[in-house]
Amino acid sequence: MLMQVLRIILPIALFAGLIQFWEWSVVYWEIQPFILPPPSAILAVFETDGASLLGSAWTTLGTTLAAFALAVFSGTALAALFASSRIAEAALSPYAVILQVTPIIAIAPLIIVWVGLDNAWLAVLILAWIAAFFPVLASATAGLKAVDPNLRDLFRLYRADFRQTFIRLMVPSSLPYLLAGIKTAGGLALVGAVVAEFAAASGNTNGLAWRILEAGNRLQIAKMFAALLLLALMGVALYAILSFVEWLLLHRWHGDRRRA
Amino acid sequence: MSRDLRLDRLAKTFPNGTAALGDLSADIAAGAFVSLLGPSGCGKSTVLRLIAGLEEPTRGRVEWPQTRGSLGVIFQEPTLMAWASAAKNVALPLELAGMAKTQARERACGALEKVDLAGFADALPRELSGGMRMRVSIARALVADPDVLLMDEPFAALDEFTRGKLNDDLLRLWAERGFTGVFVTHSVFEAVYLSQRILILSGRPGRLVADIQNPAPYPREPGYRTSAAFNATARDILDVLEEVSTC
Ligand SMILES: Nc1ncnc2c1ncn2[C@@H]1O[C@H](COP(=O)(O)OP(=O)(O)OP(=O)(O)O)[C@@H](O)[C@H]1O
Ligand SMILES: [Mg+2]
Repeated sequence: MLMQVLRIILPIALFAGLIQFWEWSVVYWEIQPFILPPPSAILAVFETDGASLLGSAWTTLGTTLAAFALAVFSGTALAALFASSRIAEAALSPYAVILQVTPIIAIAPLIIVWVGLDNAWLAVLILAWIAAFFPVLASATAGLKAVDPNLRDLFRLYRADFRQTFIRLMVPSSLPYLLAGIKTAGGLALVGAVVAEFAAASGNTNGLAWRILEAGNRLQIAKMFAALLLLALMGVALYAILSFVEWLLLHRWHGDRRRA
Repeated sequence: MSRDLRLDRLAKTFPNGTAALGDLSADIAAGAFVSLLGPSGCGKSTVLRLIAGLEEPTRGRVEWPQTRGSLGVIFQEPTLMAWASAAKNVALPLELAGMAKTQARERACGALEKVDLAGFADALPRELSGGMRMRVSIARALVADPDVLLMDEPFAALDEFTRGKLNDDLLRLWAERGFTGVFVTHSVFEAVYLSQRILILSGRPGRLVADIQNPAPYPREPGYRTSAAFNATARDILDVLEEVSTC
């Protein structure tokens, strides 16, 4: 009981202590606000620039979620195609790998030129999608390959067709893998969106990265911190929600990995 | 054409060059209970996979009566779908064959009752003990009333007590349903207790070296395990196995 209370209290106390120390040290060592602003100054930014920051956060979140949804959909679909056809896998998987190993920051200028700077949001969406796509594809493919061979034989024995085998056997057995990949993809979609916004470096995207660039140019360090704070909160929320979904779907049968 | 299941000079060499099964011919009478016994790696599992059609023989063939009988299989592991309840697991063969869900569930629950798991229809595999999982697997193999039941060391991982109990369950179900049983085991005593006939294979590549009849009548009660008749049959088998392993 005491341990449980401590496990909740201790991290909160540590966090409060660190913030307090930060606030105090900025005053004590007379650190310039354009080097490190105190937490109170960062919070104050939300009073002056709250609306524009939240608007930008909303934009970035929207692109992230759209890219994430696209990645989950296309990654699983392609993995399903790979599972049903070895030829398709051999022919297509190299391109998926090429897309994965090429840093998106390096592809970004090209994509932006292609879609046109007026459509910078589309470039951001595409780049975030590329960033999030691969972990979904890789985990879904690994999951589909990890099906218990005895169960596969059993399905063959009872003359299950591909559709039955896919829905009743392959999807559920690959779910733990897929969900782990999806959790990674959520974070990567956000990273991809922000990197792409930086690369576009234009007010057109109007996302949080643009706010950071803008504030940096004007040496509004507190505002940069405020934007960073929003990004971190978004990332954590995304991860928490996806972890919860994973728990909901798996905890009953996948809790401890005892063999069935 | 007879009603028997015939293995006609079956041989299997895997693509990697392993000659698993050398030559096996046997007529397995409909409704018989036959055990396959032999040293590890001599192709026993391969024989079952050939009968099940999960593997193609390199030579020879499996001859079925007029129509290929329906099959049930019990693997060494329970091989259950971890995400599905016991009833869902048992209903699988029926649902795959297109039976409506409610009807399939009803029959699955009936099959679970037969293996003393009436109260566990909605339990997930991880909530069951090893022996109970094996029973779910038996119920699944029998739910569609197969003509032939193939069993690959189904009880090898279980303790002596559970194993004995499941042996009795199996014989009771066999008497009720009248399926043809092909049972692979490492245990001479289990083979004798269960079977009417014991086929002994030599080391790899597996060849039939002995075909031993066990005339003891059914129902066989646990007392049979300590009878003189039981010992005599076990002795015969052990003698053959000794010869096989010395050459
Ligand atoms: N798919 C395969 N590819 C290549 N070799 C195989 C394959 N399956 C089995 N073998 C080989 O065939 C031989 C017989 O295998 P099998 O599983 O039939 O033996 P077994 O009699 O069931 O052994 P055990 O009693 O240990 O289960 C073994 O040497 C095995 O390595
Ligand atoms: Mg085997």
